[in-house]
Amino acid sequence: MTEAVVDVRELRKTFRVTEREEGLAATLRSFVKRRRKDVNAVAGITFRIDPGEIVGFLGPNGAGKTTTLKMLSGLLHPSAGEARVLEFVPWRRENAYLKRMTLLMGNRSQLVWDIPAADSFRVLQEIYRIPEQQFRDTVKELTELLELQELVHKPVRNLSLGERMKVEFAAGLIHSPSVAFLDEPTIGLDISMQVRIRRFVAEYNRRTGATILLTSHYMDDVVALCKRVIVIHRGRLLYDGPLADLAERMAPYKLITATLHDGAASSTDLDAYGTVVSREEGRVTLRVDRQVAPERTARLVNDLGSRLADISVEDPPIEEVIDRVFTSEQTVVSA
Amino acid sequence: MYRALLVAQIQAASQYRVQSILWMLFSVIRPVIFLAAWVAVANSQGGQIGAYDVRDFAAYYICLSLVSNLTMSWNAYDFEFEVRMGRLSPKLLRPLHPIHYSVVENLVWKLTTIVPLGIILVFVSLTFDARFRTTPAHLLLFVPSVLLAAALAFFSGWVLATLAFWTTRVHAVSTFWDRAAFIFAGQIAPLALLPGPLQAISLALPFGYILGVPAEILRGGVSIPTALQLMAGQAIWLVIFYFAFHRVWRVGVRQYSAVGA
Amino acid sequence: MVRYLRLLRLFFRTELQYELEYRLNLLLEIVQTIVVTSTSVAAVLVLFSYTTVLNGWDLGAMLVLLGCFYLVQGFGELVLQPSFEKFMEHVRLGTLDFALLKPVSAQFLVTLRNFQVVQLAQMGLGAIVVAVGLSRIPSIGVAEAIGFPIALLCGFGLIYALLLALSTFAFWFVRVDNLMALYWSFMDAGRFPVDVYPGWLRVTLSSAVPIGVAVTIPAQVIAGRLDPLGLGLLVLGTVAAFVLASWFWRLGLRSYTGASA
Repeated sequence: MTEAVVDVRELRKTFRVTEREEGLAATLRSFVKRRRKDVNAVAGITFRIDPGEIVGFLGPNGAGKTTTLKMLSGLLHPSAGEARVLEFVPWRRENAYLKRMTLLMGNRSQLVWDIPAADSFRVLQEIYRIPEQQFRDTVKELTELLELQELVHKPVRNLSLGERMKVEFAAGLIHSPSVAFLDEPTIGLDISMQVRIRRFVAEYNRRTGATILLTSHYMDDVVALCKRVIVIHRGRLLYDGPLADLAERMAPYKLITATLHDGAASSTDLDAYGTVVSREEGRVTLRVDRQVAPERTARLVNDLGSRLADISVEDPPIEEVIDRVFTSEQTVVSA
Repeated sequence: MYRALLVAQIQAASQYRVQSILWMLFSVIRPVIFLAAWVAVANSQGGQIGAYDVRDFAAYYICLSLVSNLTMSWNAYDFEFEVRMGRLSPKLLRPLHPIHYSVVENLVWKLTTIVPLGIILVFVSLTFDARFRTTPAHLLLFVPSVLLAAALAFFSGWVLATLAFWTTRVHAVSTFWDRAAFIFAGQIAPLALLPGPLQAISLALPFGYILGVPAEILRGGVSIPTALQLMAGQAIWLVIFYFAFHRVWRVGVRQYSAVGA
Repeated sequence: MVRYLRLLRLFFRTELQYELEYRLNLLLEIVQTIVVTSTSVAAVLVLFSYTTVLNGWDLGAMLVLLGCFYLVQGFGELVLQPSFEKFMEHVRLGTLDFALLKPVSAQFLVTLRNFQVVQLAQMGLGAIVVAVGLSRIPSIGVAEAIGFPIALLCGFGLIYALLLALSTFAFWFVRVDNLMALYWSFMDAGRFPVDVYPGWLRVTLSSAVPIGVAVTIPAQVIAGRLDPLGLGLLVLGTVAAFVLASWFWRLGLRSYTGASA
């Protein structure tokens, strides 16, 4: 049995926050006596990840994904529990560990803004002590994969958000880490850039065999990249297993939203097409089984004809999927 | 109209309490530094330099500190910031000249910092055993003098600030202005002690009329007739800058709107 | 150690390349520095037009002191101020995390990262003023020539330690700009020898805000007034301050990462 790259046991993180209501009286009161509350960001999770896997951490905002990632990368000390990454204890931040891992945060930049990325790469080369030839090869490969040719010599501040993201990726991987933690890597990017980033991550994993742990609240990220998914909700691990099973098992439906021209939504009877979930001025949302969704959509378009102003077919929002996972029996499937 | 602005500013000021105190300290620290230096110089010459002994120096720099606080104006910095951030445009669209915000903000700050400053200055006065030669006549003249000085500082500051319409390098110009003031305003030495040619220049430039003149009047270091002469000088410079400001502002706003506010 | 020096050179070089692109800016900054330094020298000359010795310091020694002041302040503005400002911004924005995950000392990466190369001009001018002052000192022994750079480096070290300790508060209070501004305003007192200041101020400038010591002692050394024991104490004091401040900073870091006490 291969050694796990990431081994987490009963990991916990509790934050102490001070609570204060608004208003002058409350402000003065809190001066004297602070009301503290313990927030369980991560409430005891256990899992293992093998080399080369790409695992997705799914969960709504505040679920504890980023906190877990921070503990695994070494930024935070846990309140309880154990974790090992590549045999290291992450929060000791030993140099040997830091050289083999990387953390990429979607909305945070680690590059110096005023200078071209190429210069930042050189600084990183020095920091990580990357031998010259290896450095050149890695830069070449990353430039190719991410299409950075025109971007590396411009000051980072002159790049668009998407271009900046690509360059950040390169900077984060320049030392060829064996483990990469990606926190919301596609947040704020437009669709085409999201696709490109996903393709890059997949290719990188294929070429280097790096183990990748990524968090996201976009279902699409996970669908595109991860065979295995871990669902976290309110600090608890709710599901750990193949992605394919999750969606099908937990939320086997789609939401069709039809917008009607004449505001006749309230009176139109659309029960035949699916379960009506909501009705607002001119808009009706139906829930239909996943399998029949395309067919129902086609029928709606056909039957409503010119009365239809707009139609959209969407996956259930992640929160609903999670809720369902939560309210149903908890199943933890080991990989 | 001023009342509404005043209320708003007082509320804002309480947020910036710490920063206010900080700025106030700026008016104290430098005078104390130079006071210490002049005391050392005086002591090396038997305790007297010209018409000033150690206690006179102390009195002078205490007055200077007070005047410094009462005439402080930071328009240039704020204004450049506002122009760059594009915050000026909405203000231009209101039927109120932006300068009024500045006036109120300025006044509120001075009112809030005068008390803690006073306490510190009393302490300094006791430490150095300052001797004030102030007569009631001097006090009477001090009030209009410091008002003239504050207005002069205010408008000269605004003329500088208006440069932000044309250049982003207001900071460089401010530095030159500040350093000239450093020499000629009465900070490094009471104006009477500046060597001949420098003293003559200082009387021709506006800087001395902002700090040195009211400080000496408060201290009682000049005779009443001389005080009146110097105040005339203040008035002249104020008029110059007042009109300069209006001119420059008009041209500046036109240029600003032409470029695209 | 060599690696850290190489990294420093890299940080410096990258910043230099960037600043060189803005030639006008560079030029203006240099001109400003010249103006500031020369007006400060003028202030000293005004003081010395009335005396030949100030508290035991003659004009030559005084100029050396002023030069040291600009050397120390210049060093602070060359690398310390930009780096610490960036550090506090990192804490505020949460981007400090990246510095923690590099296989290099986080303290080094954070406190010596950002340069403002043009401040070399400030240091250069400071060195010139020192040279001018030295030309008026009859003889300089070998001991003095060796002790001077040591004392100067200790001065740099003391200021580093102080800024490090101050900025550590950013871990808990996030916005400590006011504290820093307060500190910088006290720095101005370094332009005169620490012994001209009254008791309480002198003590403050030798301990809590060691600018007095950082500037005065190197000047004293080169003017031949410091004994080896005093210099030794300075070195020990600097090392102790550095160790203490670093320990405090690491404490703040542990709190930031939630390490249990």
